[in-house]
Amino acid sequence: MTENSASKLVVQNLRKSFRSQRSAEPIQVFDDISFEVRPSEFISLVGPSGCGKTTFLRILDGLIPRDEGTILLDGKAVIKPGPDKGFVFQDASLLLWRTVVDNVVLGLELQGIDKKIARKKAELYIALVGLKGFEQHYPHELSGGMQQRVNLARALIVDPQILLMDEPFASLDAQTREIMQAELLKMWRQTRKTVIFVTHQIEEAIYLSDRVVVFSARPARIREIVEVGLPRPRSLAVKRSPEFLALADHVWNLIQEEVLRSMGREIEEGLR
Amino acid sequence: MSVAVKTAPPFPPLRRSPQLTGALSVLAGIALWQVFYDGLARTDYFQAYAINHFFVSPWQVVQSFADLYQSGELVRNCYFSFLEFFYGFLLAIAIGVPLGFLMATQEKLNNFLDPWVSCIYATPRVALAPIVVVWFGLGILPSSLIVFLGAVFPILLNTYTGIKSVRRNLIDVVRAFGGSPWQIFLKVMIPDATPAIITGMRLAVGRAVIGVVVAELFGAEAGLGFMVYLYSQRFMPGPVFVGIVVLVVFGIAAFVALDKLQRWVSPWYAFQLQQQVQGLEME
Repeated sequence: MTENSASKLVVQNLRKSFRSQRSAEPIQVFDDISFEVRPSEFISLVGPSGCGKTTFLRILDGLIPRDEGTILLDGKAVIKPGPDKGFVFQDASLLLWRTVVDNVVLGLELQGIDKKIARKKAELYIALVGLKGFEQHYPHELSGGMQQRVNLARALIVDPQILLMDEPFASLDAQTREIMQAELLKMWRQTRKTVIFVTHQIEEAIYLSDRVVVFSARPARIREIVEVGLPRPRSLAVKRSPEFLALADHVWNLIQEEVLRSMGREIEEGLR
Repeated sequence: MSVAVKTAPPFPPLRRSPQLTGALSVLAGIALWQVFYDGLARTDYFQAYAINHFFVSPWQVVQSFADLYQSGELVRNCYFSFLEFFYGFLLAIAIGVPLGFLMATQEKLNNFLDPWVSCIYATPRVALAPIVVVWFGLGILPSSLIVFLGAVFPILLNTYTGIKSVRRNLIDVVRAFGGSPWQIFLKVMIPDATPAIITGMRLAVGRAVIGVVVAELFGAEAGLGFMVYLYSQRFMPGPVFVGIVVLVVFGIAAFVALDKLQRWVSPWYAFQLQQQVQGLEME
């Protein structure tokens, strides 16, 4: 944590708990999370299911308030959501009554940017995500993978400082997912955005990322930050290299420990 | 030993469109009615009991239609009934949609109004008709109010559920871009709830037509319901059925028009419904 000023995103001592209807005590989701993200870095968040990865990403965006802690994006505190951050939702979350191009311009439209300029820009981003020719299609006419491409273009068009992606490929079939991963890396190289990518797929996290942040079970802390260090550009073949498999094994062991720990605690709590 | 012989099936399968089957069914029903009436007319009872004051044939209904049309009585009555329907329905939309929206978004207002809505909704609106007539006299105003009472609840309740079931994640999309509550309302809530609101209007059409008839039965000087009542008092079933048929046709036409509107405004909605049905069939 030396070059504080050069960091794109700084998260310091983040805490969050939810009030639950079942118990009087609030449930602690995060306990003291701190890390920093360099400009143009690709970071993945993994952890046992239910550890609050999505909640964390929503807090980073400002969609959910935090209890304690600081989030700095380019040195400025994040208080509320806004076009400086691009959020890519888990399900494509497209407005069903709008065509592809009308969905992509949404972020600009909400800022009151001139319609003609917005549409021009949308064409560029639709081409970037490989959907040229589908501008006038409605979401229900697109496949799941294509819908996620629109989702991505919609987040990118506002030219955000950081891209927050919440398991965007989770609902895609295995083949489409692999293609989308490779395409995402291509777009990332072109746009040089800083990306925080939440996933439950370990190999997806390693394939995409510079660093993988492994969360512990709830209340989540950072268990370890794994430096990936595989050379770029990465082809899909890298997934079968021994280095890759060793990394995946390491992350998998960390998560497995956490899962077992949380299961043990749940049983204990159940017995009480 | 035996040689397999390909034979044509005894009855070739009929390929008809659903619409054609429906039309044939209606025509067959009318033909059956005519045959029944003609059979009845040949019996000795027909004259003895003055059955023509109770029963009527489809053909006589057509003749009554022509008579009423030529005298201008039908047009006049249609005009009044339509006005009552129109004003009442418009008022139901003007009050039902905003109120449904407010109740779905303002919890306190909902808690405050909910008992009233439940009570009035549970009240048989027919029972209110006489008192409305007592208060407001005869004419278009009380009839429109009765139409309104019938139509407002399906619209209000469907708007309420429509707004309540607006997809949370779509609201988050606008929020994530820093959109204002007004933008959320305009860009997500209204379009996402539109199919439900139109469904409410479709359900309200039937209630509104009932409202027109009920209102005119209790006190009116014109209208299709009034016409039906008048001619049944005079034992003239021909004009009575003309009134009924016109009301039915009007109800169906309004229903179909709103269905078309829904498909036109929200083409994605029909697709979604279709997918849900397919999903159910697969389960």
